[in-house]
Amino acid sequence: MNFNIAIAGNPNCGKTTIFNALTGARQRVGNWPGVTVEKKSGQYNYSDIRFDVIDLPGTYSLAAFSAEETVVRHYLEQDEAQVVVNIIDASNLERNLFLTTQLIELGKPLVIVLNMMDMAHEKGLQIDADTLATLLGAPVVPVVGRTGEGMDLLKEKILRVSTEISMKSRFIDISYPRDIEIEIEKLTHLIKRDDESHKQSRWTSIKLLESDKQTRDEVRIHPDGADILKQAKNSIERIELIFKDTGRAIISHARYGFIQGALRECVVESLVDSVDYSRKIDRLITNRWLGLPIFGLFMWLMFKLTYDLGSIPMDWIDAGLISLMNFISALMPESMFASLLVDGVIGGVGAIAVFLPNIFILFFIIAVLEDSGYMARVAFIMDRVMHNIGLHGKAFIPMIMGFGCNVPAIMGTRILESRRDRILTVLINPFMSCSARLPVYVLVAGAFFPDNAATVIFSMYVLGIVAAIASGKLFSRTILKGMSKPFVLELPPYQRPTLRSLILHTWERGYLFIQKMGTVILVGSVIIWVLGYFPRDVQVERDYQKERMELVEDYDYQMINLGTKFNKSVQKDRQEYHSEMIAYESSSSYQELHHQFQQLQDDLQNKEALELYRLRQQEIGDITEQKWIGRVGKIFEPIVRPLGFTWRESVALITGFVAKEIVVSTYGVLFGVGEDIDEGSQGVISGLRSSGMTPLVALSFLVFTLLYTPCLATVAAIKRETGTWAYTIFSIAYSLGLAYLLAFGVTYFGGMFNWLS
Amino acid sequence: MFNFKKPRHKLHIADENDLRLSDLKPGEKGRIVEIGGSENFRHRLIEMGITRDAEICVDKYAPLRDPMELIVKGYHLSLRGMDAQKICVERIA
Ligand SMILES: Nc1nc2c(ncn2[C@@H]2O[C@H](COP(=O)(O)OP(=O)(O)O)[C@@H](O)[C@H]2O)c(=O)[nH]1
Repeated sequence: MNFNIAIAGNPNCGKTTIFNALTGARQRVGNWPGVTVEKKSGQYNYSDIRFDVIDLPGTYSLAAFSAEETVVRHYLEQDEAQVVVNIIDASNLERNLFLTTQLIELGKPLVIVLNMMDMAHEKGLQIDADTLATLLGAPVVPVVGRTGEGMDLLKEKILRVSTEISMKSRFIDISYPRDIEIEIEKLTHLIKRDDESHKQSRWTSIKLLESDKQTRDEVRIHPDGADILKQAKNSIERIELIFKDTGRAIISHARYGFIQGALRECVVESLVDSVDYSRKIDRLITNRWLGLPIFGLFMWLMFKLTYDLGSIPMDWIDAGLISLMNFISALMPESMFASLLVDGVIGGVGAIAVFLPNIFILFFIIAVLEDSGYMARVAFIMDRVMHNIGLHGKAFIPMIMGFGCNVPAIMGTRILESRRDRILTVLINPFMSCSARLPVYVLVAGAFFPDNAATVIFSMYVLGIVAAIASGKLFSRTILKGMSKPFVLELPPYQRPTLRSLILHTWERGYLFIQKMGTVILVGSVIIWVLGYFPRDVQVERDYQKERMELVEDYDYQMINLGTKFNKSVQKDRQEYHSEMIAYESSSSYQELHHQFQQLQDDLQNKEALELYRLRQQEIGDITEQKWIGRVGKIFEPIVRPLGFTWRESVALITGFVAKEIVVSTYGVLFGVGEDIDEGSQGVISGLRSSGMTPLVALSFLVFTLLYTPCLATVAAIKRETGTWAYTIFSIAYSLGLAYLLAFGVTYFGGMFNWLS
Repeated sequence: MFNFKKPRHKLHIADENDLRLSDLKPGEKGRIVEIGGSENFRHRLIEMGITRDAEICVDKYAPLRDPMELIVKGYHLSLRGMDAQKICVERIA
């Protein structure tokens, strides 16, 4: 036997805390179909009965304004949940009860939970739960979610209500002013012919008087729909005439009236001398002068911790991956499968796996900011700035996070309540230059602008911000116009976060990252590997084998020459040596000659190794040109030629789709210097310089790299958060278009004035 | 006090000279007289407890001056100045 129960309540009322206390670790996170609103479900057993719990998104009302409200309305109007558990912040009763009045009218068996009783006591509120229960017609359970106090009683009450579902007699009606009741009566009378229960027809009538669109749509398909809607129209007009306001406003006011009446009967506010700590903290943290510097400090700390702390395990993971690759290479004979495993799977997924520590730390810090209540203050402080691009203040957080990595940043847009804001933030986020782009800037700027590298790199960051702001303004005036919601933001009291909840939050998001990004990156890496691996036998024009032998011969010859020269010098020196006291071999002049010889010999050997290495990499470059990936690069070459790019840039940019930092290693391969930037960056730099690329084209390449879609993982994140391929494809197309346009602008106008040629 | 012809479509704010919520200084208290603006906006505010006759206190302004922090029905809420301008209040001591 099992029951379905749904948890509903305002944002910040402690819903998640109660949900976790009820279900423990047995929970799953998914999305509601069609919308990117998180759907959390879990279960627990109580006296041999299983309870399946759904944690509904936090809402202030059931008006079907936002995606969240629609989800809640829709779910509760279905028959899926047998019992609704309404969580209420006892320290903020009046506003929290507004939703309760609607839940009462909805008519589902209800259990009301007075959470945060500790805070209510601190505020000096004495709440008579029994009277409240009588007034609301539902059991009321006081709890402290944070400590778990009262949870057993809650489970007991849920059980009782679930098993006594037939007892509907206790339901009460919220009563409205007489003139409204008359109209409700008229409507219920009409609706009742459809065999609905009293509760349901009253709910429908009230919603009709509130001009609720969803209800009107539902009524329209009823047999008497037309009549009912006509009556509703008349009723609304009458109400407006009498009350000089909309039905909805009057009904909302009446609900608050009911709540105030109830509170008068069951709440005693003693005049305790309580200190409002939260307000005191806020006096400092959102202070006129200190607010911004403190915010800046927190952001800086967030970055610092994420990257500095994250780099330690990053090195371990890196080392671990390398030894894993070596281990597998040693274990397995060279084969296609081995290459797929080592170069494709481990190489590709590993490139993302090294970012895991950063991502987890970032998610942890965000959880701290959210749970403590600071996130709402960030929105408060930064709203002025973000409002300029048509966004909510909270959108600032994902934008800043984008400097680190766009993937968690895009996933972080979940903190935004409106879908339109989320989509807008997701679309402009990739322009924030993530850390993976930095190696590309360092390399290319270092090669072409050695004196101004820092300036060039900095201007890339600025250009990214400008592109984000401009695009944001553009989108909010075109494709995402008019869907903006007013800024009405609750500033909940500060709370000390519990470790348990922090870990849960971090893990939830981190797990999604691993799961979703893992699959996409895996597929992407394998595709790139396939492109680079096939066809197996390629013909290159240069005879590398012969060149290699000639090279070795040449060096052997030089080596012999060097030896001969040394011997001659020694002979000559020995003849001029006269001392009898010390043997010639121990003399300082011989020592010096010998030392010189050894040094020359070492130099020669190093040069040989380097040239052999370069030859090998040139061969790889030539082979790559013949592989599918090279051919793909060649196909795209005509398209990128106006930008001044060759097939090499084309290939680099294509592989950059998997992850931006790959651009550097691709260049390494293509310019025949090696994949390891630490070792070969000098080589790449000289390779880049000698490839005929001008500084202007290099700048254009940097602009392109900055602006086009950051990586596959970002694409996956965009798909996940926007929920549709349409926005995902739009995002890719837009950023590619913008990248092309601006890069072309750089090449074209720069060329016109002969800059940097 | 107000002259309503077609309440559904007409802003409820009658007079340019009425005191607006955005006119209150930090620490000042007001009583809500009327809320203007779009239907959705009005209803959102009413649902959040900014009801007629409710007491509202301006706690402070954000560092960049724009959103303001309000206390209503015992909790803290933030509104933009341009939205607060749509709310008529009367000052209370
Ligand atoms: N003092 C106190 N804090 C609580 C209680 N229940 C939850 N909280 C805190 O309130 C904040 C919001 O809780 P959360 O469960 O995330 O709320 P949600 O937004 O409704 O899911 C968190 O910082 C919790 O630790 C409680 O009973 N007492």
